[in-house]
Amino acid sequence: MTKTFDRLCAILIKDYKLDAALLTPDAPLDGLGIDSLGVAELLFTVEDEFGIVLPPQPVQLPTLGDVVHYIDALVAAQRDAASAETVNASLTAP
Amino acid sequence: MRRVAVTGMGMVTPLGNTGDGAYACARSGQSGIRRLEASFSHRLAAPLAACARFDGAAHFEPPKLRMLDRVSQFAVVAANQAIAQAGSNFDAMDRERVGVFVGTAMGGSHTSDEGYKTLYGDGSDRIKPFTVLMGMHNAPAAWIGIEHALRGPNLTYATACSSSAVAIGEAWLRVAAGAIDMAIAGGSEAPLSFGSLKAWEALHTLAAIDAAQPSASCKPFSKGRSGMVLGEGAAMLVLEAWESAVDRGACIQGEILGYGLATDAGHITRPSVDGQAAAMRAALRSAALDASEVDAINAHGTGTLANDAVETAAIKAVFGKRAHAIPISATKALHGHQLGAAGALECVLSLLAMQNAAVLPTMHLDVADPDCDLDYVPNAGRENAGVRTMLSNSFAFGGTNAVLALRRSLA
Repeated sequence: MTKTFDRLCAILIKDYKLDAALLTPDAPLDGLGIDSLGVAELLFTVEDEFGIVLPPQPVQLPTLGDVVHYIDALVAAQRDAASAETVNASLTAP
Repeated sequence: MRRVAVTGMGMVTPLGNTGDGAYACARSGQSGIRRLEASFSHRLAAPLAACARFDGAAHFEPPKLRMLDRVSQFAVVAANQAIAQAGSNFDAMDRERVGVFVGTAMGGSHTSDEGYKTLYGDGSDRIKPFTVLMGMHNAPAAWIGIEHALRGPNLTYATACSSSAVAIGEAWLRVAAGAIDMAIAGGSEAPLSFGSLKAWEALHTLAAIDAAQPSASCKPFSKGRSGMVLGEGAAMLVLEAWESAVDRGACIQGEILGYGLATDAGHITRPSVDGQAAAMRAALRSAALDASEVDAINAHGTGTLANDAVETAAIKAVFGKRAHAIPISATKALHGHQLGAAGALECVLSLLAMQNAAVLPTMHLDVADPDCDLDYVPNAGRENAGVRTMLSNSFAFGGTNAVLALRRSLA
């Protein structure tokens, strides 16, 4: 399991009182009782936990594994963008 | 039209979270109004409120609780109490013929307040994902319907301080007309957010603190009255056709006899003698009652200068010389003003008072006002009052005046 998966599971156990044994990468969110509204709330918490900004558009995330991939991709993209910004800032500095 | 029985009542109030508990406090004159101890109290001119002792975590699991503004928490808990008392078995009923009718003036004001603070105060661009769902006015009614899978009409009324009297009246109409078999009807309000309190303060309608006794700051019909005190809470009733209530052996708590509605159509806040009197007359007509048959009145009685004098004049206009012989209770002196839930709360207290053959006191009526010269049952309730039929008045900013005609259960 990845570190992202573990951090996501910690949120699910704390906020949704879910049984850790049910939390596997292929577990469907619906099957865990997290419907589309629950996903919206979960992603709000994910933003805080991982320090990322999610796009406002709706996103389909059927399983826990899908959520993990989504988070990892955003973390990488936003880290790269932040690095590029730092480089640009240093190049243009007087 | 069919007779309509009240078979269940539930409450969350500053006087207690059961009907019997709240009634006992109202009967003995114990006030639920306190100096408000909140982080923002120092920014209020008169930090007073009537708070319910209520912890949502005791009633809802965390994932659900996070979706419920305090106003919805109150509504669902009060409705569950009422349904339990009524002994309703929805599985044996056509759920499309069971409706939910809820009044609320401010809706999810805590949620709105928190959202504004986040955006404007904290400068954040992120707002909680459930803000719309928690803040919308129809959330309390919707959650009651969801909780019990009730698929009939699910309606929310926002007529300011008459909202829940309107909700009960509109539910009564549908049950009486045979359009539905049962209604969960009442009101809920949770207006004690910083933003709501400041908004009401800006209108100059709130009471000054009685320095010697803050709990006595709301003084309806007294010469020394200075305004109302905001309160929170909910009250819900189960209404059903009298015959079916008898057939299923339900314990009948009282009867809704009729409902009068009339609009001032004059000024957005200033009350009107004609409008209030018209609503009382409409309630009497609706209930097929003669004015001589009214034994007591639960007044709107907010403790504002304008309302109490106008309401006194309106009662005189309807009842003539007999107005002086009718005991009038203003219980907002004790539970504060629940705005959109006040009418339902006072309807339940009135039914309980009739069950106990009592009339409730108007507390803190220290100094008589020549403009308010009726029998307000000052500072002590009465036993063996022989009260069988009551009116419960609810008037509102916007001018929607609603009056419920109530009768003691004879079952």
